[in-house]
Amino acid sequence: MPEIFVTVYDVFMRTYPGFLEATVVTLQLTAIGVILGTVIGLIFALMKISGSKILQTIANIYITIIRGTPLIVQIMFLYFGIVELYTMSNFWAGAIALGVHNGAYIAEIFRGSIQGIDPGQREASLSLGMDRRQTMSRIVFPQALRRSIPPLGNQFIITLKDSSLVYIIGVAEIFSLGNREAAQSYQPFESFLVVALYYLVLVMIFTFLLRLYENKLDVDRA
Amino acid sequence: MIIGENIHKSFGDLEVLKGVDLHVKPQEVVVLVGVSGSGKSTLLRCFNFLEMINEGKITIDGHTVNPKKDNLTKIRAEVGMVFQHFNLFPHKTVLENVIEAPITVKKMKKEQAKKLGMELLKKVGLEDKAGVYPSKLSGGQKQRVAIARSLAMQPKVMLFDEPTSALDPELVGEVLQVMKQLAEEGMTMVVVTHEMKFAKEVADRIIMIDEGRIIESADPKTFFENPKNERTKQFIQLVE
Ligand SMILES: Nc1ncnc2c1ncn2[C@@H]1O[C@H](COP(=O)(O)OP(=O)(O)OP(=O)(O)O)[C@@H](O)[C@H]1O
Ligand SMILES: [Mg+2]
Repeated sequence: MPEIFVTVYDVFMRTYPGFLEATVVTLQLTAIGVILGTVIGLIFALMKISGSKILQTIANIYITIIRGTPLIVQIMFLYFGIVELYTMSNFWAGAIALGVHNGAYIAEIFRGSIQGIDPGQREASLSLGMDRRQTMSRIVFPQALRRSIPPLGNQFIITLKDSSLVYIIGVAEIFSLGNREAAQSYQPFESFLVVALYYLVLVMIFTFLLRLYENKLDVDRA
Repeated sequence: MIIGENIHKSFGDLEVLKGVDLHVKPQEVVVLVGVSGSGKSTLLRCFNFLEMINEGKITIDGHTVNPKKDNLTKIRAEVGMVFQHFNLFPHKTVLENVIEAPITVKKMKKEQAKKLGMELLKKVGLEDKAGVYPSKLSGGQKQRVAIARSLAMQPKVMLFDEPTSALDPELVGEVLQVMKQLAEEGMTMVVVTHEMKFAKEVADRIIMIDEGRIIESADPKTFFENPKNERTKQFIQLVE
């Protein structure tokens, strides 16, 4: 066996208890980031298609700022911003930053899929006497949501990887643990290889689950 | 039943309807014909308030609609519309398509709505498809479901915008059959169609629209045998 496998194996066996804990933190950050992002994204998507100029402008400003600045800057900004006002753990500051960041991307996902629904659907619904709200919630949105699932799943995977950036505010997730491990053990290469493996395996699991879900949707429809 | 007076409708600079007067009596079947772009769809959409008229008046069942004050959803519910491309809800089964509006708009009990839905599906010959999703249906079946879906709101008048134009020729008959049956039952109908055989057999009146104006309005026999307008004559030659 080449030497490198042996040393990576050693590092892995030595560090996995810590990394499993860190994996839980990473998954929590990701889950909160996506859930919060979905809520924010839905609100801003509805603002963008609302027909109200003011709401559209607010949504556009938010989306432009978030998409136009690096996530790591947003994390620092929110961290120092929020911690100034409220006492909050670093974990929550990081999770909220991820949620706010995701919200902009998820808003565009929802907007795109809502606008991608055939206008005939809306017209048919209105012609039956359903009002705008019923038409959105019962006819347009359920169809748009199905279309959003693949890009949302993609966003979930991006978030999983992006969550590594909250190491900067000292949240003990996978990357930050790997970083510490690398410095302490003088085995940076092996340490980051292990870090990479954790992310890779997580991403592969989610890709697989996503595919299962998409297939199920296809079967339901057929 | 449905009265349009001096209806004007523009899209930007393009005036599509230039003062249309149309009085559809209760139980009357009016067939609208005209070349592409003449404004047939626009007129139907105005009657259903999917488009707002710029000028003129629309009266439905004795009530002159004021789009600013009236609850348009209520008025739309009284005017059924069947579209060229069916526009069935793909995420709902056939029965769910039919009972959606009675449940959400009329707040009908689910059991009662299902009973009504099954009756209507039976009427259009599709009770065996109740649990199926629209993607599994042929075009003709889809359109018959769309008709049942519209009927579920018990509209006072039904508008059809080229209901058979998207169908394979062999599927046209089954849809026209349902429409004919509806007409015989006394439904008030306004139908845009190129099916001249249907127009001759079922229509009480045929109306020709040309460049946003009504240029001919007559019973089918007179319309085909003795049209007044030159453009109507040309149109009849084209379709015969
Ligand atoms: N929403 C819209 N915006 C702009 N122009 C429109 C719109 N809807 C229709 N038009 C225009 O209005 C004119 C009449 O259209 P309409 O659909 O009523 O014609 P039609 O008689 O139904 O034709 P067809 O037989 O092709 O269906 C056309 O020139 C069309 O391009
Ligand atoms: Mg048309």
